[in-house]
Amino acid sequence: MQLPPSLDAKFTELLGRYPVKRSALIPMMLYAQDQFGFLSDDMLEEIAKRVGINLIEVTETLAYYSMLRRKPEGRYHIQVCTNISCMLRGGNELFQHVQKRLGIGNKEVSPNGTFSLEEVECIGACTGAPAIQINYDYHENLDPSKIDTIFEQLEQGKRPKPVSVISGAIHERHPAEVVVISRRFGIPNSNKIDVYLQHDGYQALEKALKQMTPDQIVDEVKKSNLRGRGGAGFPAGMKWSFVPKETGGKPKYIIANGDESEPGTSKDRPLMEMDPHQLIEGMVIAGRAVGAERGYIYIRGEYRYVIDIVEAAIAEAYAKGYLGKDIVGSGFNFDLAAHTGAGAYECGEESALMESLEGKRGYPRIRPPFPAVVGLYGCPTVINNVETLSSVPAVILRGGEWYAGLGTPKNGGTRLYAVSGHVNRPGIYELPMGFNMKRMIEEVAGGVPSGKKIKAVVPGGSSCPLLTGDEIDIAMDFDSVAKAGSMLGSGGTVVLDEDTCMVDFARRIMHFYAHESCGWCIPCREGTAWLRQLLDRFHDGGGRASDIPLIDELSKNMLGRTFCPLGDAAAMPTISIVKKWRNEFEEHLRGDCPYKPADVIAEVR
Amino acid sequence: MPEQKQITFTINDQKVTTAAGTLVIEAAMHQGIEVPSFCYYPGLALQAACRMCLVEVEKAPKLQTACTLVAVEGMVVKTDTAQVHKARKDMIEFLLSNHPLDCPVCDKGGECELQDMTFRYGLDHSRFTEEKLHYPEEQWSPLVFYDAPRCILCFRCVRICDEGMDVKALGVGARGVHSVILPNEKGALACEECGMCIDICPVGALTSGTYRYQTRPWEMTYVPEPCTHCSNGCKTTLSVRNNEILRANNRDHSGINGEFLCGKGRFGFDFTHNPERVRQPLIRRNGKLEPASWEDALEEVSRRFKQVRDMHGPAAIGVIGSNHTTNEENYLLNRFARATLGTNNIDHHRTADYTGLAAALGPRAKDSLATMADVYASNATLVVANDVTQQNPLVAWQIRTAIRHHKARLYVINGRPSKIHRKASYLAEVPRGTEREVVRWLSTGQGDFDENIRTALSALKAGIEKESDVVIIFGADISGSALRDLVSFGSKLPGHTRFMTLGDYANSRGAADMGILPDRLPGYAPLADAAERARFSKLWGSEISSAPGITAREMMEAAAAGKLKALYVVGANPLKTFEVKQPDRLAGLELLVVQDMFLTETAQRADVVLPAASTYEKDGTLTNTAGEVQMTHRSIDPQGPRSDFDLIRILSHQLSMLGVGSPIRLRTPEAAFDEIRQNVHGYDLPVAGLLAGGAELSTATCQTVEPSYETPAGVVFSSNDFLFSSGTLGRYCSKLKSTNEAKDTPWSSSPNIQSWWYR
Repeated sequence: MQLPPSLDAKFTELLGRYPVKRSALIPMMLYAQDQFGFLSDDMLEEIAKRVGINLIEVTETLAYYSMLRRKPEGRYHIQVCTNISCMLRGGNELFQHVQKRLGIGNKEVSPNGTFSLEEVECIGACTGAPAIQINYDYHENLDPSKIDTIFEQLEQGKRPKPVSVISGAIHERHPAEVVVISRRFGIPNSNKIDVYLQHDGYQALEKALKQMTPDQIVDEVKKSNLRGRGGAGFPAGMKWSFVPKETGGKPKYIIANGDESEPGTSKDRPLMEMDPHQLIEGMVIAGRAVGAERGYIYIRGEYRYVIDIVEAAIAEAYAKGYLGKDIVGSGFNFDLAAHTGAGAYECGEESALMESLEGKRGYPRIRPPFPAVVGLYGCPTVINNVETLSSVPAVILRGGEWYAGLGTPKNGGTRLYAVSGHVNRPGIYELPMGFNMKRMIEEVAGGVPSGKKIKAVVPGGSSCPLLTGDEIDIAMDFDSVAKAGSMLGSGGTVVLDEDTCMVDFARRIMHFYAHESCGWCIPCREGTAWLRQLLDRFHDGGGRASDIPLIDELSKNMLGRTFCPLGDAAAMPTISIVKKWRNEFEEHLRGDCPYKPADVIAEVR
Repeated sequence: MPEQKQITFTINDQKVTTAAGTLVIEAAMHQGIEVPSFCYYPGLALQAACRMCLVEVEKAPKLQTACTLVAVEGMVVKTDTAQVHKARKDMIEFLLSNHPLDCPVCDKGGECELQDMTFRYGLDHSRFTEEKLHYPEEQWSPLVFYDAPRCILCFRCVRICDEGMDVKALGVGARGVHSVILPNEKGALACEECGMCIDICPVGALTSGTYRYQTRPWEMTYVPEPCTHCSNGCKTTLSVRNNEILRANNRDHSGINGEFLCGKGRFGFDFTHNPERVRQPLIRRNGKLEPASWEDALEEVSRRFKQVRDMHGPAAIGVIGSNHTTNEENYLLNRFARATLGTNNIDHHRTADYTGLAAALGPRAKDSLATMADVYASNATLVVANDVTQQNPLVAWQIRTAIRHHKARLYVINGRPSKIHRKASYLAEVPRGTEREVVRWLSTGQGDFDENIRTALSALKAGIEKESDVVIIFGADISGSALRDLVSFGSKLPGHTRFMTLGDYANSRGAADMGILPDRLPGYAPLADAAERARFSKLWGSEISSAPGITAREMMEAAAAGKLKALYVVGANPLKTFEVKQPDRLAGLELLVVQDMFLTETAQRADVVLPAASTYEKDGTLTNTAGEVQMTHRSIDPQGPRSDFDLIRILSHQLSMLGVGSPIRLRTPEAAFDEIRQNVHGYDLPVAGLLAGGAELSTATCQTVEPSYETPAGVVFSSNDFLFSSGTLGRYCSKLKSTNEAKDTPWSSSPNIQSWWYR
């Protein structure tokens, strides 16, 4: 197949990025799709040939990723997020409006091929909810009239101006904020290396590479009590120390997990779009600490413009000698590249991410062995969340003790909270570890609109057990939230006011997990699908009294028994909702949802 | 192998001592404790996907999958607690939620692992009241069907196709609850059609085109047989109902092939019911073959044999034996030729130089012949001049599995492409036809090759000289002096080298071992050896002539020249095999008797055709190319045809009544096998193992090394059958031939064929 020269060059470049050609497979498919609108049989054969694998390996990989498609979509592919943060702020109503406006339903293409519509899962714009993507462009804080304006522009052949930075990231600082990793947010051109250098940029790297031994770097990170910001909160320094020093000639890798897909979570996106060099700097330091000379930043495919920003930053860093050979004259070499995902929440799980980075279906791996010993390409690998790695330069520059002192015991430093849902000021706030949750919601994020009461809070992404409005007077560190029966998670805090239907909320969460279940293990594959069907029926008014314990039991039957934490992620919020808001389930048994007019429910279906 | 460290741990209060590194699921099984699983499959990559094997481990907060859990010293495992039982029940409930309840019409009903697990571990009622997912059934090839709703996604099929077969024709489509198995070619399969995916499927998701919707498993009887096609001797279990073979598969894994079976063994049984099967004796009358009674046909044959013998002498009679008939039949045919007819003109189509190997090894053969198990167990194999993937699929499987399971090394010298090449540590691709020269170079250092070939060969030689206990496997091109060169090279390698030569058909080795050779009596006893001659003369009750016989090819030439007057062809098709282009060249014959299942090119020219039974229709033993002997059984009644054993025996009685020779009084194959065990070198095998369905290694061998023995040129050659052909027999395997792949030959140079055979 004859390729356009630009795509041909892109393919060649991608194939050269990785030690194993197959790693280029998913990016190649996505970039080819960008040019042609879909992936034709000929294109897939061409890609198979270039990668040097069988066609079946290409098609089975394609089939896994929700962004990849084999049929054309409209010229403007309208992707409306209806996941929790957007749903709470009118995402469903927006989706219905778009359907009416365009005259097409979900996954349909308008007759002239201009528009296609898809209801999508969380696109990482939670603090700008409700949000949509038109192709790769983000449009946030929408309502029907704003979206009509957007369509009018599209119909006139104009490109409506997308957001350049996630809504809610740049705002007046609340006095309670302790600004460390977000300190460059809002500075014009903060993603450019010159601006970064003016604001302490790459000083930590100079220090780490010239004044510290690898062991000293690891010790400093250990001292900082920096814990994984992806959600699990594993101590970063300890993770690094698991990497064997001697590998018998095998290379080691550093991976930044920028797959941010947990509903309610949108804090890695501003870190990458406004401060990509901070992440790059953190990765080089991590590389030095464990003896890795190559890194990848895995970024979810929906964040295309963010990937472009990160790639530009990487190019700048190479040009200035902060990446590549003999970095700042230290003799240390480090190569870095960005890698695009293609639509799969599961790839945020570290071992599934590595499978995906190797160009395969994003199935998680059996552990042990853990990535620190057997990771990417079977080599020792450190994989940390974008925010974790972005915190490293501050830890090195100002010292582990200083950083640890910002937080609470065993929970060092600050973290970014993306507060969304029913709050007056949805936004991304940097607060010290251990900050009070109630105060964050009520003071920092401005409290609930119209003075309504808080019914529930999702502390850190949709997989956490929900807390009631009475349970949120707690310190936000990993241990305190755990003590309260939930998890600090990913820092995506979603607030639900008193008028929210908890059955509907449980239903929406289960839709997400059923959509994202990879299908590898039986309890998650079948359990999420069953619960989705059951909760749909229940919320529609078809519930039976016996369904309530069944929802609870099926969730518990998944809990702790699935191959990876996705099953737990689906089970935990569901169990907490049935337990804490059982009365709402019972109310539904009488017929309609008491919180929403019946016609809305019917149409949302 | 170094002594493995032992550890002791506890399962259900029982102390278990096992090798370090053992998985809990394996250790439990050896202890007689069942830990249920779907996705765990010994020898394949671990999945931990089905979550059926969850067990309690002391101090672990959650249940653990026994299939990935390595037992360690002091570990305490419980498989029989309320928590474990509940977990199993819950998994079955999840599995059944979208599983169709079409067990009453499902092929797998009655032998389904999901049924068994549900019966044993499942709930007695269903709580799933939502709509089940449904997808239409797909036909992937004439032989393989896929029913997605039944699929439980254990990924066994995907793994066996990729890891086991190295074909990778299967993948996984979509994700989550919509996940399905995908074939490689837009809804269809382009593969080796081995059907391993069907056998390994625990449910009725993958079904066989030859078997689906035909019957219920409990209505059939099961007869294990060595496969009747290639020379590797895989066991295939025939499933029989109403005197018809409905299925062949390998679910009990008890044969030398373990879990392996190729498409021929699995789908190539329908020749037995092919409408072209000859079911009645035929006698040529007025130039036309016409049906006749058995009495008339046998009378005609014996009368006319006597006529020719009386008129032209015994040397005017030739006998061509078979690569498919049993050892007992071959032994009888040998006796019939030499002791009844009195001719040494007896031969068969030799597809490997077994005689040459026996002569080169001499008494050493007793411990220098490699078995199929040796190929798997070896550190290294050297394959010379054979596309084992196509021609010897079990050998290829053993090689691949050895590489997969214990990192064995493969060395290949080959003049034609083969899929196995990509598994080779060292590969020397040489021009076709130069393999013999290469072997000479290996042995003596003499020979001249292109630079790149020499480089590849030198690297290969240096590599293999560092190995020990190598198995050397070679095809028909390595015969005579080349075979001696290879044996000489192999004998100098460190450790204990073993050899295997690769013939084409189910009893190619048995034919040679039983002396269907002009210059050899059974067990490679030289005809020229007076003592051996005397031994068999005494045994067979007639003096064996010392006059050497002529080869099969020479017989065809002698027939054309009018020197040979009668030819008795048993289970062979020499007109095709020896490429006698003009059938009229047989016109010099006064009598052509053909005993076969079908009207082959040769049978069409016969004066009398005696319809014969297939190996699936008779008792006896077969010897695979490695020398492993197995029993074959009468699975169905041939309905008309008779076994070659009976026919030869009856003819001997008929002729003795006419005063020719003495009657063969061995009434049954068992009796004949007893005589073989007592009289054929290397066949004194214990019977118990054979009766139990096992294999015993025979070592038919020359009593002395015969360095001067030279296999006549042109006598040994392969038919070059591939995965979808099987000599004459293969032409009547309709199902096998109905696949697209059967239309391609793997060694064609046309690029579209290359595209899938070798990718």
